[in-house]
Amino acid sequence: MGTQETGESPIKSEGDIVTCRKLIRIAATEAGFGMTDVTRIVTAVSELARNVYVHSGSDGVMRWQILSQPGQIGIELVFQDYGKGIPDIEQALEAGFTTAGTMGMGLSGVKRLMDEMDVKSEINVGTTVTVTKWGRAK
Amino acid sequence: MDVDSLSVIKLKNILLVTVPDDPGDDTIHELQTKVLFAIEKYQSKGLILDISNVNILDSFFARTISETTQMVALMGGQTVIAGMQPCVAITATELGLHLGKAISTLDVDRALDIFTDNFKLV
Amino acid sequence: MNHSHSKYLSNFTNWSEQKRFVNFTDKDADFLKLLHPFAVEYADSFVDRLYDHLILFSETKRFLGDEKMVSRLKLAQKAYFIDLTSGEYGEEYFKSRIKVGISHQRIGLPPRVYMSTYCHYMQLIIPQIYGNPAFDIETANSIFLALHKIINLDQELAISAYIHATDEVISRQTEEILEMSTPVIQIWEGVVAAPIIGMLDSGRTQQFMERLLETIVATNSPVALIDITGVPQIDTATAQHLIDTINAVKLLGSQVIITGVRPSIAQTLVHLGIDLSGILTRPTMAAGLKVALDQLSIKVIDSSKS
Repeated sequence: MGTQETGESPIKSEGDIVTCRKLIRIAATEAGFGMTDVTRIVTAVSELARNVYVHSGSDGVMRWQILSQPGQIGIELVFQDYGKGIPDIEQALEAGFTTAGTMGMGLSGVKRLMDEMDVKSEINVGTTVTVTKWGRAK
Repeated sequence: MDVDSLSVIKLKNILLVTVPDDPGDDTIHELQTKVLFAIEKYQSKGLILDISNVNILDSFFARTISETTQMVALMGGQTVIAGMQPCVAITATELGLHLGKAISTLDVDRALDIFTDNFKLV
Repeated sequence: MNHSHSKYLSNFTNWSEQKRFVNFTDKDADFLKLLHPFAVEYADSFVDRLYDHLILFSETKRFLGDEKMVSRLKLAQKAYFIDLTSGEYGEEYFKSRIKVGISHQRIGLPPRVYMSTYCHYMQLIIPQIYGNPAFDIETANSIFLALHKIINLDQELAISAYIHATDEVISRQTEEILEMSTPVIQIWEGVVAAPIIGMLDSGRTQQFMERLLETIVATNSPVALIDITGVPQIDTATAQHLIDTINAVKLLGSQVIITGVRPSIAQTLVHLGIDLSGILTRPTMAAGLKVALDQLSIKVIDSSKS
């Protein structure tokens, strides 16, 4: 099986979090990321997919794409939900902030694992979190 | 991994649990419940969580480990985490995770040593 | 491998942009095509003459090898030469040119030899353009200009390919040097040591952390000595990297002892308000090793004194 360059997976139940992790573990490994980077990416997926599941309550989706640049490999992940939205994004990005009773690492912790992060949110419309990780091409 | 395949092994005064590589939330919940009931049943003084197969530790899993450690302590036991993989340890540190009062060891053998040397349990 | 090279190169060498840059048009392609029958007809004799020339110079002779090799090279050269007037200068042309450039860099052929081949192309083709009665002077000039443009483009690609391939070598070496500058060594059963030389930035720390943790697990070592004697100065970022590393090692079930804390480093740490109170520190690696051995209940006895 060759590398699938893009894909998406629904986030509607707790079990979907594991499905997302497994999908991205395969995609990131095949793209050529090292073991530690794969662990960072999969852990970020777990955090963000759980955020979607916890916040939206109804449904959400994860989309992913393998990127390539000169000498670099990359993966971009987009998590979208239609939940209540984040009132104060800057506060949510601060270490220790949490609304859903998880450990309070939330978005700020994910930001440390990934290279780029973008959060867009609108109250009662939903939240889209986009993260990217770059690695050296082998 | 099927929840039913999680087994809690009793070794003299302590319990040994081997966690599967990519445990779902339900598996992690089940693990906590099984451990606490086993501690009550066998009056165990310690718990070894063998996580050498685990290749992902997120904040939910870390929080459950930390809480389980506290619960086990309330029931009179000490928790030891054995065999964390380097990539998991690096990610956990960067994510800012803490395992509370759980002690870490390199492998199950060393975890057993801790119970023998410090707690004279095995 | 070659495929991925051309893929990456195409990201920073925009071929159609490059063609526009030298005003290479479809008309130029048509003019070059006029030379094609000639190129096909004379390709063999031209390639023979080129190699007869190359073999006269010791610098090029050593790349030619045995007869089998030479005939293989000649075949490739012939295709390359014929392609020049094919009239098709799209993505395929671009990729094959880069591929040839990279493979020549690999065998270490100096770029000036590669470039001089084009000079031979010119010397062979120009008399054919101006000596051909079918071409009036205007057509001949247009063909000449088109040839000049495509050869210029070819040379740009060849140089880009050479530079790209050399950059690859440099970045690989940089990584190797980085790895060598922070060795992680098992110095006793159960003890690993990692002397850090130079500043710790975040890229280097990630690499170092990975190797330290992997060595700790591979050697099953409960104690790790990180020696910072070779760290010229410490700032908040470096200190934070160290603390991260120490925490990750703790999660594995091993303990870090920081050694080589010189007076100036101790002063800086306190002035910066960096709290290392929960961490075992010692002024020298020897003192750190003693602590490590104590923790492992290992006694080292001076046999001359007993």
